[in-house]
Amino acid sequence: MGKLEGKVAVITGGSSGLALASAKRFVEEGAYVFITGRRQETLDEAVKLIGRNVTGVRGDAANLDDLDRLFKIVKREKGKIDILYASAGWGEAVPLGEITEQHFDAVFGLNTRGTLFTVQKALPLFNDGGSIIMTGSVASVKGFPGFGVYAASKAALRSFARTWLNELKGRNIRVNVLGPGPIATPMQEEVLTEEAKEMFESLIPRGKMGQPEEIATVALFLASDDSSFVNGVELSVDGGLSAI
Amino acid sequence: MGTLEGKVAVITGGNSGIGLATAKRFVEEGAYVFITGRRKPELDKAVEYIGKNVTAVPGDLSKLQDIDGIAAAVTTTKGVVDIIVSNAGFTEQAPLDTLTPEHFDKTFNLMARAPVFLVQKLLPLISRGGSIILVSSAMHVMGIPNHTAYAAAKAALRSYARTWAAEFKGRGIRVNTLSPGVTDTPILDSQSEEHRRDEVVRMYLNMIPIGRLAEAVEIANAAVFLGSEQSSYVTGADLMADGGVGQV
Repeated sequence: MGKLEGKVAVITGGSSGLALASAKRFVEEGAYVFITGRRQETLDEAVKLIGRNVTGVRGDAANLDDLDRLFKIVKREKGKIDILYASAGWGEAVPLGEITEQHFDAVFGLNTRGTLFTVQKALPLFNDGGSIIMTGSVASVKGFPGFGVYAASKAALRSFARTWLNELKGRNIRVNVLGPGPIATPMQEEVLTEEAKEMFESLIPRGKMGQPEEIATVALFLASDDSSFVNGVELSVDGGLSAI
Repeated sequence: MGTLEGKVAVITGGNSGIGLATAKRFVEEGAYVFITGRRKPELDKAVEYIGKNVTAVPGDLSKLQDIDGIAAAVTTTKGVVDIIVSNAGFTEQAPLDTLTPEHFDKTFNLMARAPVFLVQKLLPLISRGGSIILVSSAMHVMGIPNHTAYAAAKAALRSYARTWAAEFKGRGIRVNTLSPGVTDTPILDSQSEEHRRDEVVRMYLNMIPIGRLAEAVEIANAAVFLGSEQSSYVTGADLMADGGVGQV
């Protein structure tokens, strides 16, 4: 018997990387998952990889109309949500001095604003006793040059968790941030240079980068009743990078 | 198949409350556990409750020779340690105006000093990678009156996790703190000499966003998570299982 038997989960950005690994794991543990992604082709591949108990919904988590459409589909197909994993996110290195409005708006628009409205629009469908997980970042508590806007957009999520924790009091919906460190994902491959990768690995007490599956097991913990008294926290999954 | 199949764990203060619930869950997940505690009759009861795959080692962790005794018992029977749950603790309240050296020493000896030597003496036995869980408290980030020594001793544990995570680099040993909130255990009865349990519980309930106390098994489940491969990329972290009390 899986840890998420009979649960309905919505995972934004679930078509690649950490969120895809989590979607796969959630299904293995008995959940039905809805995953989103902007590119139909990637989404189709993800649905195929997960194999069963999954619906792919194409959409941009920064676009409120797309979010409305997502939750309309969830409502029609399942009628309820037990787990929301708001994981769609993006960032690139732009140092202070070169930051454009477009860069700021793209990063905050998806990571912060998009996450906020993903949660807000999901709430009417939420079963009491559910679990909300947001993807933070080790960057939000460090000072990696060039990642100022990205880091701040993720730090805002940690703050949301504190506020919502009190606002959702009484509905028994838990809300937590999962803060990944450097993980070997397609996005990291794209964003980080070889040099940056080596720099990160030298900083990680664990000594090597995390794998998407190592995030998925923690997402599973936060989604399941194993974490029934874990509420409003940021759980760092970073091989110790933020600890030292 | 359990998530701790074949693992050997040492759980201090394993005779009651969070420690006992953790020992029980660890065994259910396939581990062999050594539990320690000061009182022999309570240890015997704990062994009976856990039922199998458990050895009790009596000892007072504030005495280094008792820690040696624990290490010796593990060496003789298993020869290896995979998981340490440093959990033994107590609460004793004292306001700054009147706290005594005895209160400070008792608190720091058991909750800040003993974990250092417990881990140091068991470290040579962690020969195939492992997970160290230091049971702290959500109070280590809070300011609750009369908890000068308790909160500070628990904060020390959070600091150890940072240093040791760095020191264990490349050794396959993870170390994290697990910080429970207010948990429904016998330790609540020791909150004051007058046994003001109901009053204490009422005060805390007003502060806890999740609106209730934790059951010991909920903290135990978080310990299983930290002890198992499920948390393989989690080290140097502080897992708060506090119903949100330390987060708002």
